[in-house]
Amino acid sequence: MRRFLVIFKMDLTNLFKNPVLVGYNTLFAALLILIMGFLSSGNYAQSKDAYQYYTVTLLIYGILNGAMTASNCFMERDIKRPNLRIIYSPAGSFPIYFSKLLASFVFDYSLHLLLLAVLCPLLHVTLGANSLFFILLMAPVEFAAAALGTFFCCVFHCEETTSMLLSIVVNVFCILGGTFFSLDGLGSAAAFISKLSPAKWLNDAFFALACDNSRGLFLPVLIGATVISALLVLGCRLFFRTEDYL
Amino acid sequence: MENLMNIKNLKKSYKENEVLKGISFEVYTGEVLCILGPNGAGKTTTINILTAALGSNGGEIEYKGKPIGLKLRAYKQALGIVPQDVSLYEELSAERNLRFFASLYGLHGKELRKAVDEALVFAGLDERRRDKVKTFSGGMKRRLNIACAVAHHPELVIMDEPTVGIDPQSRNYILDSIKKLRDGGTTVIYTTHYMEEVEVISSRIIIMDHGSIIAEGTKESLKESIANEKKYTIEIEENGKIAPDEFFSVEGVRSAKIDGDTIEITSLKGVENLDRIIALLCNKGERIRNITSENASLEMVFLKLTGRKLRD
Repeated sequence: MRRFLVIFKMDLTNLFKNPVLVGYNTLFAALLILIMGFLSSGNYAQSKDAYQYYTVTLLIYGILNGAMTASNCFMERDIKRPNLRIIYSPAGSFPIYFSKLLASFVFDYSLHLLLLAVLCPLLHVTLGANSLFFILLMAPVEFAAAALGTFFCCVFHCEETTSMLLSIVVNVFCILGGTFFSLDGLGSAAAFISKLSPAKWLNDAFFALACDNSRGLFLPVLIGATVISALLVLGCRLFFRTEDYL
Repeated sequence: MENLMNIKNLKKSYKENEVLKGISFEVYTGEVLCILGPNGAGKTTTINILTAALGSNGGEIEYKGKPIGLKLRAYKQALGIVPQDVSLYEELSAERNLRFFASLYGLHGKELRKAVDEALVFAGLDERRRDKVKTFSGGMKRRLNIACAVAHHPELVIMDEPTVGIDPQSRNYILDSIKKLRDGGTTVIYTTHYMEEVEVISSRIIIMDHGSIIAEGTKESLKESIANEKKYTIEIEENGKIAPDEFFSVEGVRSAKIDGDTIEITSLKGVENLDRIIALLCNKGERIRNITSENASLEMVFLKLTGRKLRD
């Protein structure tokens, strides 16, 4: 356990020392919400509704993109080489990928909470009558995204390939899920396609908590994300081979 | 010397490509075992399998008489590994790198601080301990790369070409460090394709080529196998007038090789035939620029065994 904590601490430190990742999860995300909210404020009855919409959808976009934090933490060139020493050490192979997964989760989750702490009062965005449920539900989804990134790394053994594939998958899901503009107004066919996207399910669950104070989708999302995370961690265990690092 | 490791019939293939063809050797406590061979000989694959980072397709590795798989964690605890590439966190200081890597081997508290201090002195980096690795020269990084592998005082240190691409001063520092490790009772397995390093540090040598061990012994015993030979290296203005076979007409010539404007001839040691070789070249109209003569060397051993130079 001591060895795991040593590795985890190092992985987390490396992430927080990466200005690109910190900026992407905070400044870039905040700017994107502000710009999208400002540009589309005319489409809503009140401008704060636009900010409400984009804070939730772009937060989910950020959470899903957290998969790429994991791939960076796992196989980025400058980190991959010293990680080789962990493979040689008596720490075993499990801490190698699981500490990266956990560090990515903690990193993304804490930065997204910081983002909400700043933007919610500033833009009058609500997270529901009890914001704790909103914040709690973010955790399993953040974890599942980190697990997805780690799993892709274990399968493809390369940061570039993993990031490219994840970027395509996440962006397609988010565009279909209505992250940037809702597809529901484009006809029944578009609305049906939109419903196939996991981003849409997440948007619906988080909007239900934030705007309708409804917890009907809380448990399904919580259980779904937990099961997916467990399967992805199991997949990491099956696909991770130390020789991919050599 | 006590037997520390037994490697038996180790095999590794990547699809059709047989990288290791069933190699067997022993490692004895306190020795510096040099594995010598050209690029692609199978040295790094052997090292990766010995470190348990890569699986083999057959064979056994025993450490202190027991298969390493039985007590893998204890085996890894006993190892210190210096990878071929510098494997350090560039954004961290030398001290923090050492602390992190040493703590992976269970060191903590006072024990860790002491190990880190000793490793910094060992690498000659005590005064730069708080500087980030990215500010270090290539040689300093290489030294720290070694220090990270020995900080936890391993019984066996495995080094995979640790001196590639560094200045002579750092190379000498590293070679001296290896001698210090050996004198302190640490066993070292060292791969390289630099003959001169092997001459300086080796207790025993294994020569590998094309995934097989082609010779094994001390440098003295290996040289003894060609003790009755000497080598002439002749540089000529231009080549095109003489073929290697023509040198066999001279008494005592055992082999001849022409590479551009350089001719390498191996000859029996007792036969004085240099004047006849020069005469042959002059008769063919070749203009000689330089001639050097060399007695038995590891380079000659390799040439004899494989028919090519180590760094061809």
